[in-house]
Amino acid sequence: MIEIRGHARGGQGMVTAFEILAKIFSKIGDFQVQSFPAFGVERTGAPIQAFLRVSKCPILNRSNIYNPHLVVVFDETLIEQVPVLNGLKKDGAILLNTNSKIENFKIDTNNAYTVPATKISLEKGLGTKALPIVNAAMIGAIIKILKVDIDIATQIISENVPSKPKQNAESAKIAAEKIKRSPKNTDNLIQFLDSDEVIEEEILEVENEKEQLPIMDFPSWNNPMSINKTGNWRVLTPKYEERPAPCTTNCPAGTDVRLFVKQTSEGNFYEAFDTIYKFNPFASTCGRVCPHFCQQNCNRIELDSGLNIGAIERFLGDQGIVRKFYAEPIKYTKNIAVIGAGPAGLTAALRLRQRGYEVTVFEALPYAGGMMRTGIPEFRLPQEILDKEIQAIEQQGVIIKLNSKVTVNDLEKDYDIIISAVGSHKSSKMKIPGEELSTDGIKFLREFKLETNNYSVVEGDEVAIIGGGNTAIDVARTTLRLGAKPTIYYRRSKNEMPAIPHEVEEAIDEGVQIKFLTTPVSYNKNGNGKIDITFIDMKLGEPDESGRKRPVKIEGSEKVMSVDKVFSAIGQSFDEYVFSGNNIAPKQGRIEFNSDKPVFCCGDMAWGGTVTEAIGSGNHVADEVYSYLRNIEYQEEQNPTNVVLPDDINYNYYLPTPRHDNPVVELKSFTGNFDEVVKGLTKEEVIEESQRCLHCGDCYSCGNCYNYCPDAAVHIDEQNRLRIDYDYCKGCGICFNECPCSAISLKMDEVENE
Amino acid sequence: MSEKVTESTSEKVLEKYPRHYQKVLKGNYAASEGAALCHATVIPAYPITPQTSIIEELSARVAANKLDATFINMDSEHSVFAAAMGAALTGERVFTATSGQGLFYAHELLHAIAHFRLPIVICNVGRPSIPWNIWSDQSDSISQRDTGWIQLYGESSQEVLDGIIQSYKISEELNLPVMMVLDAFYQSHTSENIWVPDADLVDEYLLPKKLNGSEIDVKNPKSFGGLVSPDNYGNFNHGYWKDVIKVEDLTNKIGEEFKEHFGRDYGAIEAVNINKGTKQILVTLSTITTTARGVIKSHPEVGLLKIRLFKPFPRKSIVELFSKVKVNKDKCKIITIDRNFLGDSEGALMQEMKRALYGERYKLQGIYAGLGGRDVPPTTIENIIETCKTNNDEIIWIDS
Repeated sequence: MIEIRGHARGGQGMVTAFEILAKIFSKIGDFQVQSFPAFGVERTGAPIQAFLRVSKCPILNRSNIYNPHLVVVFDETLIEQVPVLNGLKKDGAILLNTNSKIENFKIDTNNAYTVPATKISLEKGLGTKALPIVNAAMIGAIIKILKVDIDIATQIISENVPSKPKQNAESAKIAAEKIKRSPKNTDNLIQFLDSDEVIEEEILEVENEKEQLPIMDFPSWNNPMSINKTGNWRVLTPKYEERPAPCTTNCPAGTDVRLFVKQTSEGNFYEAFDTIYKFNPFASTCGRVCPHFCQQNCNRIELDSGLNIGAIERFLGDQGIVRKFYAEPIKYTKNIAVIGAGPAGLTAALRLRQRGYEVTVFEALPYAGGMMRTGIPEFRLPQEILDKEIQAIEQQGVIIKLNSKVTVNDLEKDYDIIISAVGSHKSSKMKIPGEELSTDGIKFLREFKLETNNYSVVEGDEVAIIGGGNTAIDVARTTLRLGAKPTIYYRRSKNEMPAIPHEVEEAIDEGVQIKFLTTPVSYNKNGNGKIDITFIDMKLGEPDESGRKRPVKIEGSEKVMSVDKVFSAIGQSFDEYVFSGNNIAPKQGRIEFNSDKPVFCCGDMAWGGTVTEAIGSGNHVADEVYSYLRNIEYQEEQNPTNVVLPDDINYNYYLPTPRHDNPVVELKSFTGNFDEVVKGLTKEEVIEESQRCLHCGDCYSCGNCYNYCPDAAVHIDEQNRLRIDYDYCKGCGICFNECPCSAISLKMDEVENE
Repeated sequence: MSEKVTESTSEKVLEKYPRHYQKVLKGNYAASEGAALCHATVIPAYPITPQTSIIEELSARVAANKLDATFINMDSEHSVFAAAMGAALTGERVFTATSGQGLFYAHELLHAIAHFRLPIVICNVGRPSIPWNIWSDQSDSISQRDTGWIQLYGESSQEVLDGIIQSYKISEELNLPVMMVLDAFYQSHTSENIWVPDADLVDEYLLPKKLNGSEIDVKNPKSFGGLVSPDNYGNFNHGYWKDVIKVEDLTNKIGEEFKEHFGRDYGAIEAVNINKGTKQILVTLSTITTTARGVIKSHPEVGLLKIRLFKPFPRKSIVELFSKVKVNKDKCKIITIDRNFLGDSEGALMQEMKRALYGERYKLQGIYAGLGGRDVPPTTIENIIETCKTNNDEIIWIDS
């Protein structure tokens, strides 16, 4: 009888290997076989043993093998950990899976074999680098030592492995070729296989301090658990690792939304304001008028309803903006001109001024603020809010020259850099007969707000507004407040409306009518001072390049409507005056322009269409200009990967909590009332709302990992952070699974204790 | 038994047992194979180490349409045995497997199944109770010995497979449930040579389950499990008793029939090297038996008594054997090796042997060995033999 003992780590496939060996021996001759594992309650990575007895006569022993003829070591690192040679027979041998030479190991026998099973297995794609499945290669080596026919063996291997039969069989074959017998090896193991009797033999004397160690080690009840350093079983490693949250990655301004919400929840309003201000100097404005990109993919939507981040931002903005701001000293000689004092221009100006450049902003109108000033009605954004935010920018050293309609060429001799941020204040034309009878919607809003003209909309007027964007909605709500009866006509359906959805809902609640799938084809003056609009019905066809369904006219569906006034709000473009009438296609960043000085572009004229996008555009152009001036290569920001999605959230650990919606003023009549419609939340409400945050991808010290870790490997460090002790973490992954917010990763990488 | 070796082109075909094929199987797979060969029709299951691979293999076979049975994933062992009970009440052939804590949890149902007289066969892969441990020990099954179940203990994968086939025979003849007990790891996870009978060979031996008229039948409603009055209660138990006393003889009879049909010999007990000159008789259950067989080869004065039917305890077979071979009451020691501890001075084998030999003046000595999976290698058996030569303590804890 021959007795073989194997040492491996859980997951390397040794138990299967020994079972397959039993099947091979049972197949090749009239052998009695017995193979079985010995393992603890461990899992992948823990040291385990397996035993194999092969005999010509019945095997009358059902106990572990203490005096093996052959010791097989599947993982060379076990040599240091486990007394593998204990009890080896004097004429016995050891087979070691290693890529290095046997001389590199201190072992007490000359009878040694080595085989590079890990290398062979990885080349055949069996297992992974962290956990190669070496069993087939080890079978190949063992049967080579015992002179078994490799073809029978590979056939049985391919029949018995759970997957990749061909690769497993090949790896066994390669191992049988590559096994090395050490030069001093004198063993003759095959004699034991052929012998009918159990041969009593001397045991090898092992000079090994580990000799006294038990092969299997169990912490007993009266020893501390700390003696069992289960860290060496680890294959997968959990780690606290921040992942981007959708609120933050969705913000076009780049604001760290998750951070300011967290700071708010802790009552640190000024820190929270600073977090926003780093990216966005118009927190109060954006808290009111932004479509809140941050809220759109909030993972809390899956639980109850998304966080009201806009209300938090508004509160922080209103609190923070009243503080004193200071100008940084000017550090550089280069000076910068910005054309247009809208959100993009002012943001770009502020960023560059904060970095130490002298910046002057030229504004055509007598007021700064751009579309925030001219396009957004008072009832959505009170003037004094915007005034404070612009004053803060001026306090920080940005010079704003009003009533200065300039071109790039006007500035090129006095300034080193020119940034054009003139926005989109020019209405697009419909190019239909009688268009001169319609009023330019954006111009109306601008002039109405700046009180240069009231356009004689009188109470009771029937007003038609053509378009589906924010301008159409704002015109409608403004005329409503002038006492008119506004109706919006939009050529597509509600789903395709580009206006901010909650603004649409507010307009409808206030009494604005919206008619979908219709478009004017001509305007005519009729006899009694009204305008006849001929509409045609539309249907939705295939999606166009914007991804929205293309509206298609339904021929013969024309009908005529009489109104007192018609506003056109079908889109806007930038004013070419800034480029002295040259035909330039603006885009984000540096543009080609025939000028002595570099010209950059940002804001609505480049892309976007909301205040927040304009702010983001301003931030980016400031970075690009700075890089240009400092001669640094400018790298556009990459789209973030690995954003936390609803599937990554463990919703069971969060309680449904009602959302704090902004209160909306309910009025019987809006006529003549331009007060702000939507109110803010109270301090208490803001804190409660911010506490609804799920903390996607960011550890908030909930302690689930601490509570669940079966090895008590999670502890709280001096900085009050949860940390993992990798001496004990066996990589079970429970912390990773139970983390509510995906703030723990689980990867093959190795990490060190901090 | 025909023993024939034929050489075909490339592989050897061994025909020790006709209409069998040779395999290398783990004890747990032998159990699954046995249940499949017996055409178990309902298998409610819940996993627990070390039995899980039994039900895993069966569920795989059901999923692959290789076994025509209803496999039910239950939420606990209590539910498993409740489902087993319900299925058996409708006349299905039920199989399941459990271990340790799972069996403890099912305790209430075990009583019910036995006293409802339901012929269910299960495998229990033994492990102890507390301190917590998953390794080989018989404390779980032995602590259920008073539930009314028949208990068979297997020594090898072969005995598990053959034992399940015989268990259905015994069970369905007497309407009593049978628990086939395996040792954890040393048997459940040990791959070894086994002869698997052809399916039709088993089908000829074990016919489909016959209904006996006491099953649930929606066309003929009856009540089951109702309150039994004091006047009737004893009658139920008396009826049960009349059948349970038949188990030992029936086990021997079915063992003989099995030998005629399959070629392998089984009885309630097995005696090795017991004669009037025997100085020590080692009494064993399950895998310790194999190692003891090896050791006594070099101890001609030591015999071995393997208990295969543990419950009801085969006292008649033992007493008859001892008196037939004239075991010397003065010179022979009967040494029980108990791999169970149930909070009493003696282990279960010692208790049962004492009952069996009551009034017979044999010398009995009890050994506790191998508890909680501690290995019992040949050296431990040698140690028991040597120790008992001089030490006359009634109970000895070897290795402790």
